[in-house]
Amino acid sequence: MCLRHVLGLLLLILPSALFGQTQRTVRGLVTNDKGEQLIGVNIRVKGTSSGTVTGTNGQYQLTVSGNDAILVFSFVGFAEAETPVGERSTINMQLKSSARNLDDIVVVGYGTQKKVNLTGAVDQVGGEVFENRPLTNVTRGLQGVIPNLNIRMTDGKPTRGAEYNVRGTTSIGAGGSALILIDGVPGDPNLVNPNDIASVTVLKDAAAAAIYGARGTFGVILITTKSPAKDKTVVNYSGNFSLNERTIKPKMVTNGYQWAKTFDDAFASWNDYTSHAQKVNSVFPFSLDYLDELKRRNDDPSLPKTDINPATGDYVYYGNTDWLKELYADNNPSMEHNLSVSGSSKNVGYYLSGRYMSQQGIFRYNPDNFKTYNLRARGSVQAFPWLKIENDLSFTQSNYFYPILNHPGNTPVWRRISDEAFPIAMLRNPDGTLTENASIVFGSFISGNNQSELSRMQIRNTSRFTAGLFKNRIHLNGDFTFWRLNDVEKRIYTPVPYSKKPGAMLERGESKLNEDDDKTNYLAANLYADYEQTIGKHYFKGMVGYNYENSKLTSRYIQRDGIINNELPDFSLTNGLNFTLRGGGNEWRTIGGFFRLNYVFDERYLLEVNGRYDGTSKFPQHQQWGFFPSASAGWRVSKEKFWTLPYKVFSDLKLRASYGTLGNGNVNPYQFLESMGVSQAARIINGIRPDYTQHPNVIPAGLTWEKATTLNLGADMVFLDDRLTTTFDWYTRKTKDMFTEGLPLPGVFGASEPKGNYADLDTKGWELSIGWRNKPQGRNAFSYDLRFVLSDNQSTITRYNNPLGLINTYYAGMKVGDIWGFVTEGYYKDQHEIDTRGIDQSFVRVSALNKPLPGDIKFADLNGDGKIDEGAGSLSNPGDRRVIGNTSPRYTYGFNSNMEWKGLFLSLFLQGVGKRDFWPGTDNSLIWGPYNRPYSWQPEDVISNMWSEQNPDAYFPRLRGYTALNSRAELTVPQTKYLQNVAYIRLKNLSLGYNLPARLISRAGMSNMRIYLSGQNLWVWSPMYKHIKTMDPEVIEGADPELASGAGNGMSYPMLKTYTFGINVTFK
Amino acid sequence: MSHLNKMNMQRLLYILIATVMLTACDHNLDLKPVDKLSPENAFNTEKDLQLYANSFYLDLPDGNDIVRGDDLSDYLVGRTPSTYIYGSFGATQATGWSWGALRKVNYFLEHATQAKITAEAMNHYLGLARFFRAWFYFDKIKRFGDVPWYNKALDVNDPELFKPRDPRTLVMDSVLADLDFACANLRSVKDKDASTVTRWVALAFKSRVCLFEGTFRKYQTQLGLGATADKWLDESIKAADDLIKSNQYKLLTTGAADKNYRDLFTLEVPNTTEVLLAAVNSKSLRVFNDANWYWTSATYGGRFSFIKKFINTYLKTDGTPFTAQAGYNNIPFNEEVKDRDLRLKQSIRMGNYTRDGAIAPPDFTYTYSGYMPIKLTVDSKATDGVAENFNSLPIIRYAEVLLNFAEAKAERGTFTPADWDATIALLRKRAGITNTPYPVTADTYLQQNYYPDITNPVLLEIRRERGVELSLEGFRYDDLKRWRAGKLLENQYDGMYVPALNTLIDLNEDGKMDVSFVESIPATKVPGVYYFLIDNVQYKLSGGTSGNLILFSNLQRKYEDYKYFYPIPYNEIILNSNLEQNPGWAN
Repeated sequence: MCLRHVLGLLLLILPSALFGQTQRTVRGLVTNDKGEQLIGVNIRVKGTSSGTVTGTNGQYQLTVSGNDAILVFSFVGFAEAETPVGERSTINMQLKSSARNLDDIVVVGYGTQKKVNLTGAVDQVGGEVFENRPLTNVTRGLQGVIPNLNIRMTDGKPTRGAEYNVRGTTSIGAGGSALILIDGVPGDPNLVNPNDIASVTVLKDAAAAAIYGARGTFGVILITTKSPAKDKTVVNYSGNFSLNERTIKPKMVTNGYQWAKTFDDAFASWNDYTSHAQKVNSVFPFSLDYLDELKRRNDDPSLPKTDINPATGDYVYYGNTDWLKELYADNNPSMEHNLSVSGSSKNVGYYLSGRYMSQQGIFRYNPDNFKTYNLRARGSVQAFPWLKIENDLSFTQSNYFYPILNHPGNTPVWRRISDEAFPIAMLRNPDGTLTENASIVFGSFISGNNQSELSRMQIRNTSRFTAGLFKNRIHLNGDFTFWRLNDVEKRIYTPVPYSKKPGAMLERGESKLNEDDDKTNYLAANLYADYEQTIGKHYFKGMVGYNYENSKLTSRYIQRDGIINNELPDFSLTNGLNFTLRGGGNEWRTIGGFFRLNYVFDERYLLEVNGRYDGTSKFPQHQQWGFFPSASAGWRVSKEKFWTLPYKVFSDLKLRASYGTLGNGNVNPYQFLESMGVSQAARIINGIRPDYTQHPNVIPAGLTWEKATTLNLGADMVFLDDRLTTTFDWYTRKTKDMFTEGLPLPGVFGASEPKGNYADLDTKGWELSIGWRNKPQGRNAFSYDLRFVLSDNQSTITRYNNPLGLINTYYAGMKVGDIWGFVTEGYYKDQHEIDTRGIDQSFVRVSALNKPLPGDIKFADLNGDGKIDEGAGSLSNPGDRRVIGNTSPRYTYGFNSNMEWKGLFLSLFLQGVGKRDFWPGTDNSLIWGPYNRPYSWQPEDVISNMWSEQNPDAYFPRLRGYTALNSRAELTVPQTKYLQNVAYIRLKNLSLGYNLPARLISRAGMSNMRIYLSGQNLWVWSPMYKHIKTMDPEVIEGADPELASGAGNGMSYPMLKTYTFGINVTFK
Repeated sequence: MSHLNKMNMQRLLYILIATVMLTACDHNLDLKPVDKLSPENAFNTEKDLQLYANSFYLDLPDGNDIVRGDDLSDYLVGRTPSTYIYGSFGATQATGWSWGALRKVNYFLEHATQAKITAEAMNHYLGLARFFRAWFYFDKIKRFGDVPWYNKALDVNDPELFKPRDPRTLVMDSVLADLDFACANLRSVKDKDASTVTRWVALAFKSRVCLFEGTFRKYQTQLGLGATADKWLDESIKAADDLIKSNQYKLLTTGAADKNYRDLFTLEVPNTTEVLLAAVNSKSLRVFNDANWYWTSATYGGRFSFIKKFINTYLKTDGTPFTAQAGYNNIPFNEEVKDRDLRLKQSIRMGNYTRDGAIAPPDFTYTYSGYMPIKLTVDSKATDGVAENFNSLPIIRYAEVLLNFAEAKAERGTFTPADWDATIALLRKRAGITNTPYPVTADTYLQQNYYPDITNPVLLEIRRERGVELSLEGFRYDDLKRWRAGKLLENQYDGMYVPALNTLIDLNEDGKMDVSFVESIPATKVPGVYYFLIDNVQYKLSGGTSGNLILFSNLQRKYEDYKYFYPIPYNEIILNSNLEQNPGWAN
């Protein structure tokens, strides 16, 4: 007899032996709410270990002692039910399906787990978050759905991905975002077909992520794709058609004369009203005579808008051009088609899907164009009863065509429009040629052949097997993945033709071609085995495994001048002498061994221990390996005997705690080696620009792992018969030994100080999710569910090498994101106040000669030294600055609601940030208008809100050009009044649809057909809009990062609002 | 399935797993970069050394540096004076304490010797490195005075990081040793591209360094190094003499008399008749400078023009000083520029100067004084608004060597009429000056307005010549420092003579009116005329309603003796308590 039987027998006999109560037999039938028999329902006597399960006909039989016994019925997917035995000997039970059933199994690292047994901080959403929404990629669909999975979509470009951040600032040294795994293997979520996704799980704390070791330090995202349908064939088609437009359409002054007057004022005011502009920025001539003539032509619209200067023969323009209208198409269409076929028979299962998505771009001329194709083929064979073999092949091709300017530094079009597209200038000359200003702004869109062509292609194959060994007690899993990713970007630049006088054509810009080709070959192998055993009230599970990853990047960059024929941009047809050919790449490898032990006692006490021994090629030999353990525990309080609250009121309470330390292996490869790169010199030596190398970086001594230690405390509560579920987690994560700058060395060192493990960071936060589900059965019932998620985090630097206490970098005690600035006191009322105020404000410049006038800004003399300045820029002497705000998003939230009634459904998704500050920054002409550069955009919100003697309480001060551009100018220095509150709330999705009744569609062989209308980003509001509504509150982080991110905040692809019609059909 | 079969299959599975783990997975975690060199493999052949040495050239001035070389000088008036002499300037604003270029050289010197190459080649590359170390220290000593001397790449823990400054004598002796090594070991094949450092470049540079050091010690008497000045002057003379005697270079005189001088600055290919080393620019390789944009924009550059006090020093073609005539300050622009040293018409817009075929008078959109520089710009307007000038600009040219030689000899007291004929007279002849006698009387204008302590007529003329010949090439502030003439930076900014207010003036005698100086802008304007508002604040006339333009006299400029040494950046003083600030500068 085996040990298990002995133990079981003992456990069965013990209670009766101890208490000696009368034994009797209870039997009965367990059914669901439709009266169907349920097989395998767990029945136990409350507070004891005796129990049984229902047999194949839903019947059970159980021995109980005494009449006080209470039977507890539990079954996956159904609400737990209790009933006292009393005198009865037959107890039939009907179980109600549980609102929680979808959550019962949660994907965790290298396996799945029952949600009730989870001890770490884990959150999961199903594939429904991607439904009824047209999405260019998965990342956009995940924003706001999981608390503290922080995704910032910084613009509306269809290719825009985002860093996946879990729980706030990770490391200011090596950095680190969450590890993203697709079916257990690292991958790029943006290359996954959103329709293929079954669930997305986020492992937030160290204990949950520890199994992934150094790569999972800052959270893990597990994307699980759909498996073959069971025992039948399912064909699904979904398609949608959309129209997109900008979320925010800033209103700009487009009347030429009004614009020019403000321009002249802005220019003259910076120059202390002593001079007027001779040109509007670089090429457009300007004078007061011109302004007079402009007025005449404005007053008499019958006069021509274009003329010829008799002295030079050049065109003169008197335009009223709305350049943004010329730039953007009225709307842009997009569509998506997805077809999947899935099924299985006895031993074979398959899942095939294909998707095509395209989005035509926002521009009127030569618009951008996004296309993506996904193909997935997944098959499984039960080769032997004990061995299942699966293969999963996916292919993705994604292309993006994007028009660019032919301008040094790849300035994004918005920056150039803001600098060179004045209403008084015009797009075309009378003969149809482009004007000089047009050639500078988006003439390259009109002439064509100035573009970026992006191609991403991936082929990825995972083969895996699952074997049940030793009589299926040990499950052995293995997989092997091959992934090849090829990113190619080709850029074409051809000169833009334009004309300044009739009959004479000129050209502007370079003629060149470049191509950046990155190939990544990635191999991964996993092998792991688990063993599971239940002995009475003791449940054990053990898992041990091995992981290997190798990634090799090979890069190539080529560039050559002189495209012979603009229509044929091929390297064979270039003849310039200026060319570049560069290689490059890197390789890294990690090896890890890991284990996990789970122990559960009586469904009440949960314990999990994880550990991983990790090796990485990114560290020097003696530092390559590290062991990182973690532990977590849970207590299901509601399973205790003393828990007397009725299930219908307080159904479940679980308390969790976890603690663990993980190494951060995110550093770039080879940081510990002296290496000498070879580059091409910018200088001509002997007729060429030769290559050169130079002294290597000074290498850090004793570089080792950054370590992140997380303590997590959580509670899961379920109320009101499973309808209300809440989860709350509080955590603190200390990142230690961050890889940052060494102590500053004297300049004579002649190199940057080697970085080392020099800084610590402390991140604290919490997350809350509340769900409400009411799902009565039947088509005619009104069912709905709501989910609200809220999270917060804040990081403080606790150690940093900053002996001078400089505030323009990190310092111990600094909250990450803090903005230092002056305190705006108001405006100078009159000259008398300027003369008598007695505070020297000359540090802040208001004009070229720095002579303040009424309407200029007054700053508060915080340190009372009679002088406004920045002091020594240190904590001990910050001058008149203090912390005025913080750029970190706080209190991020999402609210999702779904309602269904008689086949009609309505879903709504709101998402936002509760608190965030934003300093507009220089060259943000959306907010500063002519205060940035006199010739910048003139948003109506700004122009109508400028100080004047008649309007002394205006939001903006006296109009002064360049004061939001030049260093130390009055709107360049961060200050309280113009700090923007960019908290926001956004209606991310609103869908209304109808599921056609089965009787209508079954004749066509369909099992389900749904049509819907949906809108994305239909509405957004931010406190910033109290003063100015020219920016989307999410499009504030720099300029188009693919071109030149430093070209001013907000100079990016607009966020899009989308109106969609969609259809979804399923055949079974 | 039979039991046997199952066992076999499972065995096969185990074997497969074992095979995959052993073969497919490479367990070596010591990966090396695939696209970078390492110190072990970067210094083995001559090609390796050349590859590294190419990086030294990145520390030479580029075209834009040269364009901006004279921003701080006594003879230019611009939109706003340099913050160094106007407004508050202190240690927190100080820059230039960067030592990366020195680490680069010292690292090379420590590793190059591992190469297995001929002694000649090795010495050439060591000489090259030491030339650039001298270049580096010359720059530092000019800027800061005493600086610490290092001949090794410092380690993070090296206590020498925190050492005080070394005496000027130690640093300059080391510079001289480097230069002597370079002159002795650099290859002497003349570079027909003027882009590499050869023995000849080293000699020319040595003449520059030693002249600077000799005169600096002589005139900056507070250093107490006057007694050592002669040694440096002798070194300068020797180096210049070696180069002159080699006959490798001569003044460019083969073209048109009124073009030779400016051709040195406006052509794409440096003329190596005269130019030893240049910042080479190229249209096809897209290496540019921004001279045109810098000098013909109201806002992009400093909007600099010459002041009249300096223009006055250009001689007349007959060799007499312009200032020898009575009322030299009251001659209208169109008149005063006539019959002058031909370098004047090659340095400023005047007379029949044309751009893209159209006559181009001085344009008060871009000039304040009327003396609008063209020396470094090209006449095509194509690059006026874009940094795409491809004219190469000299870093070292032979004319400077002649001037160095002449001045060092004159300071040494060994200058002869024959030396005059071989140096200054050559420069003047190229400039179309017909009469170039050895000077015997001191020029009073130069004495009164520039160098009151100099009585030697030859020395005065050499200084005049240096100012005119090398204008805008970035020498001026260094010259003022070594002559202890920094006070000239307080020069009143004056401009051309204005005979009367509210009168149309034709600056280039083309029959078209160009400018009118007015007290208020008239209601009706003549097309093509620039109306220059005399506001009597920023812009005045010396005689009230007529006279020389007086510009920005409302902006107080200050140059005190302590400014000869630039302050050490504030943070450096904090980081290294052994580093003392230059006297006169507060921390």
